[in-house]
Amino acid sequence: MTGILKYGVRRTLMWNDIRRSRLLSAAATIFMAVSAMLMALTVLLGTNLLRSIDTLMEQAQTPDFLQMHTGDLDAEALEEFAGARAEIRDWQVSGFLNLENAGIMLGNHSLADSTQDNGLCVQGQKFDYLLDLNGALPEVQPGEVYVPVCYRAMYELEKGDVMQVGSREFMIAGFIRDAQMNSMMASSKRFLVHPEDYETMREQGQEEYLIEFLLEDGVKSSGFAASYTAQGLPANGPAITKPLMRMMNALSDGTMIAVIFLVSIVILLISLLCIRFILRLQLEKEKQETGMLRALGIGKKRVRQLYFTKYIVLSVCGAAAGLLTAWLLWRPLAVQMQELYGAPQGTWRIGMLSLPAVFAVEGIFLLSIRRTLKKSEGLTVLEALFPVQEKRERRRQYLLIGFVTAACMFLILVPGNLYSTLSSAGFVTYMGIGDAEIRMDVRGDGKSDAEAAWIAAALAEDPKTERCVLLRTKACQAVLLDGTVCDLKVEMGDHTVFPVSYQEGRAPGQETEVALSALCAKELGVTVGDVLTLQNSGREITCTVCGIYSDITNGGKTAKAVSGMWEEAPAVWSVLYAAWKEDAWKQEGAQRDAGSEETAKWRWMEDYRQLGADVTEIEAYVKETYGQTLSQIRLASDVAAGTAVLIIFVVTALFMRLLLEQNRYTVSLQKALGFSSCGIRRAYLKKGCFFAATGIAAGVAAGNLLGERLCGAVLQSLGAGSFHFLIQWERALLLHPALLLLTAALAVRVGIAKIGRIRAYECCMGKE
Amino acid sequence: MKNLLRVEELCREPILDHISFTMDSGEMAAIMGPSGSGKSTLLYQVAGMDQPTGGKVYLGGKEITGLSEDERAAIRLQQIGFVFQQMNMMGNLNILDNILLPALEENRVSHSRSKKELQKEAEELMQKLSVAELGERSITQVSGGQLQRACICRSMINRPEILFADEPTGALNKSAAAEVMDAFVKLNHEGTTILMVTHDSKVASRCSRILYLLDGRICGELLLQKPGTGTQKQREETVNEWLGKMGW
Ligand SMILES: Nc1ncnc2c1ncn2[C@@H]1O[C@H](COP(=O)(O)OP(=O)(O)OP(=O)(O)O)[C@@H](O)[C@H]1O
Ligand SMILES: [Mg+2]
Repeated sequence: MTGILKYGVRRTLMWNDIRRSRLLSAAATIFMAVSAMLMALTVLLGTNLLRSIDTLMEQAQTPDFLQMHTGDLDAEALEEFAGARAEIRDWQVSGFLNLENAGIMLGNHSLADSTQDNGLCVQGQKFDYLLDLNGALPEVQPGEVYVPVCYRAMYELEKGDVMQVGSREFMIAGFIRDAQMNSMMASSKRFLVHPEDYETMREQGQEEYLIEFLLEDGVKSSGFAASYTAQGLPANGPAITKPLMRMMNALSDGTMIAVIFLVSIVILLISLLCIRFILRLQLEKEKQETGMLRALGIGKKRVRQLYFTKYIVLSVCGAAAGLLTAWLLWRPLAVQMQELYGAPQGTWRIGMLSLPAVFAVEGIFLLSIRRTLKKSEGLTVLEALFPVQEKRERRRQYLLIGFVTAACMFLILVPGNLYSTLSSAGFVTYMGIGDAEIRMDVRGDGKSDAEAAWIAAALAEDPKTERCVLLRTKACQAVLLDGTVCDLKVEMGDHTVFPVSYQEGRAPGQETEVALSALCAKELGVTVGDVLTLQNSGREITCTVCGIYSDITNGGKTAKAVSGMWEEAPAVWSVLYAAWKEDAWKQEGAQRDAGSEETAKWRWMEDYRQLGADVTEIEAYVKETYGQTLSQIRLASDVAAGTAVLIIFVVTALFMRLLLEQNRYTVSLQKALGFSSCGIRRAYLKKGCFFAATGIAAGVAAGNLLGERLCGAVLQSLGAGSFHFLIQWERALLLHPALLLLTAALAVRVGIAKIGRIRAYECCMGKE
Repeated sequence: MKNLLRVEELCREPILDHISFTMDSGEMAAIMGPSGSGKSTLLYQVAGMDQPTGGKVYLGGKEITGLSEDERAAIRLQQIGFVFQQMNMMGNLNILDNILLPALEENRVSHSRSKKELQKEAEELMQKLSVAELGERSITQVSGGQLQRACICRSMINRPEILFADEPTGALNKSAAAEVMDAFVKLNHEGTTILMVTHDSKVASRCSRILYLLDGRICGELLLQKPGTGTQKQREETVNEWLGKMGW
């Protein structure tokens, strides 16, 4: 027994169908597999990252709330506060010995140009542990140091290398993961040393305190943070909550995952369109056969089932292939996040989590296929048996090219625009930092005011600086109209020298005006034009909100006002911004080798460091803080662009090839009537390119406008207010569209190459 | 069986106009008439492929008009065979599989025959219609006459009570048409009731009865002797003479 008797109707039809239309079946399977793979990767990497972070934070017992403080510490007040609060499970004060970066050598590399605050610490007493790469508490011996793991690859370190601090040498005994400060977005890095060494090193740095609290389950850390500051407890540095730490950790690798997710959605859409197209084409071609099956007395449902089986099998193959490649790619792509956060617990379970994602993707495919099949069933037996050719349908089929090119254009533009925006110099103004070149932080107890004023005077006289400004941050209470009181740190000075981006309103110009960060305005529930009362040391000033700006520094909750209010009150901290003259370093640059300009800049900054300021070059700061993220976005956008070009080529070529197959009779007839291959080809090329060009235009519009909204929404949730793409127009409007159009044209040409081989006599021979 | 097929006042607006006739078991009848007179339409109504706008069709005493589409599909599968002018078979299956397809589909419901029996039955049918050697070939590898005979095999595989054919020889040359007609006569001899539409008086003359359709009405009927009796020449002359009277 062979064939249909042995294998049954369904299986035989399916196998023969797959065998006879290998190209189409392979195309459908590949579409299904790639969509499944990308979606599975999104889930795998996403859960891996979150799980790793959670595992690490749990093992390290990260505090729920952390307040940094410099200078005298009122231990009694803290004790009293902690004793009175039931929601505090535990608390501790850890020291952090902030070292001079210029004095640190890691292996052969100096940390002089690092923008991180590098310092020593000892293991947490009760919680907030620094863990080694196995997740255990390392036992530090005197003379040994454990280095943050993020420096391992950056400075090519190995166990046994030497770390030099001033004249002291430590042996690098291993690497640690720091649940709080692992990410390059966190501004400090902690090196773990033995308590004895910590004591002896105390002279060489400035000690800061981390006041840390573990809260009972279910207590909101943001609420706790508010009540902490309300008590007037030590708080002259930034405060961080656990969710913020988790977010900072997630953000660095999260952007890559977000781009993969975006790509997977677009590819899923494209695949859906293509598979529907393939199916329609097949149904069109086999309309008479389905009509015949129904005339023979085979029910609608059964006919649908006969067609559906093939796609079930293809989708199972696609799902398996997609899952397998996702599992293979998972490890290589997760290398960096696993280095930083450790391997997650239960990799097996995470692997299983990708299954529902893949099932969902294939389910969407099968549902869409079923819908298309059902739609084709509306015909009566006779209509199915003797089909009339529809002209309208043909025109609509070209739309597929339009849709796909639009989607691909979108795919190229959004990550590209995101990259150009984040990497542009102006972007810092979205982060609450003025568009300056140098930032100097002056912190400390009481003396900072005089120091800052002294530095400001020096800067103003410096021949290298073009403009500079001193901004002093003072703590005060804001009283809303309904009587609510909140703590507010107001940065005072001239905010027009290095303006930030205002999403609404403008910088404060008078003493009765105050500008708020977007998050702050949201929390206080005020908008531009509303009135606030600010209190400090018993004096009240009534202000109007004059502007709202984006800020993601200091937890995003800041305010700006002109100086003049409470001139006498001490600042919590002060910041100076400066810009160099355009030709400030020309002389040095021209003089000798290329490195001399850098050396000169470094010397200049070192002079101000001597005055007590923490000097940062903003460009370097941004590069170091976001460099990791940026390079990932860069990589992701390159991959997305490559994928898009590939998709356009494959889909367009496939589409034209299928269309030609469908129009074979017409082409043959045209040839019989005397049209040349060349002329027919030109007509197809024109039409294909027209629809590709339309799609590209639509994609450009969507990528630049819709993409901006999309990224804006994400960044807004992180604290940036208004968001506008800083678009490299010549790339977005010229280079990329031209590249896509060229690819599409080439693909059309490849797809219709067969025209030359269609014979004029074919139309006279009838079907088959 | 008397009145195996009974058609009462069948209408399909605007093509068919109150058509009534009956057929007994074992008859072989032809429908003739000018192009566009509604012959194909009549056949589709009677075979349950279309829903008439009025009138009734009884098959084996059971009314098939008014049934749902699925019920009519089941009847087409089990009780009716149909042969088309265009010999359409599934391009994805070879000849034997195409012939077996309706049988296997029918078996899904009834489970009346084993696979062995089915194979034997298909082989016998193919033997009878002289296509026994072609089972493994694809449908593009056989001649038109052979393909049409394979189609007849397919329509016979479920042992239908009645076989309809719409110009089964229309797309064939003379000798192939003769082979196909031989097949029909053979089946009729063995008891199959056959109703076919044809343009060919030579083909029609091999039937036992001819209905003449004009503008959607039956306007004439010719009764002949049982097929196979009398010389073929005589039968053709009778038919041609009658057709002349009808305005052919
Ligand atoms: N789907 C349809 N809708 C409307 N009218 C139709 C349809 N199909 C056929 N007709 C018309 O119905 C009439 C009968 O058509 P039918 O196909 O039954 O003729 P026929 O007798 O089989 O002709 P031929 O000998 O050419 O096959 C014709 O006038 C035809 O134009
Ligand atoms: Mg007809």
